[in-house]
Amino acid sequence: MKDFWKKANFKGHLLTAISYMIPIVCGAGFIIAIGMAFGGKSQDALVMGKFDFFQAMATLGGKALGLLPVIISTGIAFSIAGKPGIAPGFVTGLAAVSISAGFIGGIIGGYIAGWLAFAVLKYVKVPSWAKGLMPTLIVPFIASLLSGLLMVYVIGTPVAWFTDWLTRVLTGLNGASNLLLGAVIGVLSIVDFGGPINKTVFAFALTLQAQGINGPVTALQLTNTATPIGFGLAYLIAKLLRKNIYTQDEVETLKSAVPMGVVNIVEGSIPIVMNDIVRGIVAAGLGGMCEGAVLMTMTNGQGATVPFGGVLMLPTMGHNWWVGLLAIAVNVLVTGIVYALIKKNLTAEEVAGVSTASASQEEEELDLDDIQISE
Amino acid sequence: MKIVGVTACTIGIAHTYLAQQKLEDAAKAAGDDIKIETQGTIGVENALTQQEIDDADIAILAVDVKIQGEERFANHKVVKVSTETAIKSPNKLIAKMHEIAGK
Repeated sequence: MKDFWKKANFKGHLLTAISYMIPIVCGAGFIIAIGMAFGGKSQDALVMGKFDFFQAMATLGGKALGLLPVIISTGIAFSIAGKPGIAPGFVTGLAAVSISAGFIGGIIGGYIAGWLAFAVLKYVKVPSWAKGLMPTLIVPFIASLLSGLLMVYVIGTPVAWFTDWLTRVLTGLNGASNLLLGAVIGVLSIVDFGGPINKTVFAFALTLQAQGINGPVTALQLTNTATPIGFGLAYLIAKLLRKNIYTQDEVETLKSAVPMGVVNIVEGSIPIVMNDIVRGIVAAGLGGMCEGAVLMTMTNGQGATVPFGGVLMLPTMGHNWWVGLLAIAVNVLVTGIVYALIKKNLTAEEVAGVSTASASQEEEELDLDDIQISE
Repeated sequence: MKIVGVTACTIGIAHTYLAQQKLEDAAKAAGDDIKIETQGTIGVENALTQQEIDDADIAILAVDVKIQGEERFANHKVVKVSTETAIKSPNKLIAKMHEIAGK
């Protein structure tokens, strides 16, 4: 069974599709945010002479974001079957949009389209004179037809119900539930620093954003933004307490980790956390929890229209921009103060870097489950 | 030992390059020649030629997503891991690759 999951590689295909989707969401998200900030509204159709500039911008972004199910579906099918997966993935994604199965429909449709294309390539045998028809006609036709019809007649409606239900529940959350959801997302988004838990939460939050619920992904990314800055602040607070908490190497790392954090890249702070994993995660997790709770409660689940960008996300939050800023500040303060307090005081030799000399011995055990070898 | 490899992560701006850096450092520490191609959001950088791939003893793919040109490695010893493994345990990974390559 474990082998099946590894072979099927559900996560890998989804991550590939997300990697193609992120630039689209960021581009379109900023365009719609600027359009809406100046009073534009996304239109169904742009009729010459009946719209202004900002409506045009809002519509540009809105149309692109409305097609995210198509993009995720095409991306997943491409990841599974290569180039022949693109056509069935595209058709099935559009079917998911038509039947209101949304982003979740797009994800499921992408897997079906990709595996069907893969199966047709593998099992349908044609005479040699028809070889050229395989990639141009047979695969796209059969795989698109089957997966498109499956979407329309079998999967689409239940997924549409589920999506509708989930959207209603999450948009209907009140203060306390928003606080809890925000706190949970805040913790989970930082607890393994870009590892599998973070990726899963990210996929979930992106799914919600594609349905128009922006709070969760904002809570997640502002934590990633604030954490490295928090570790930077811990240095200053520790100095006030007359404590040395970082080695010289770590201080050097911080000089790039903090500016990277400002633009949403949390990974710069990984070396610091790795050197003291439990305390680092406690400080980051507590900060994330407070950030998520503040953000989701005070904005009532609203957030940025883009899923990435650090402080650049704030302008896309509309009138809630100051809440985003406050949430970051809370996270930075909590992480900084907690880390400065719980971290051990280092001796002068440790600060000079003696303890990091044996880095290769302290390295984590190799995760043999994660290695695939082919010869 | 000659090593070639590709790194690629989901967002394509951080893990890709961290994994490259860690693998290069670890390989150099072990006295190996290494060249890592990165496939970030910006596209392919430090591209490997077919000649370089053919000359290598072993290839490492530290990838979370589907990469371009995986077929270039079709007839080679290939070790595939996530970027996370390459970042967390680069030296042990290189040691393991020595074992697999038999050098």
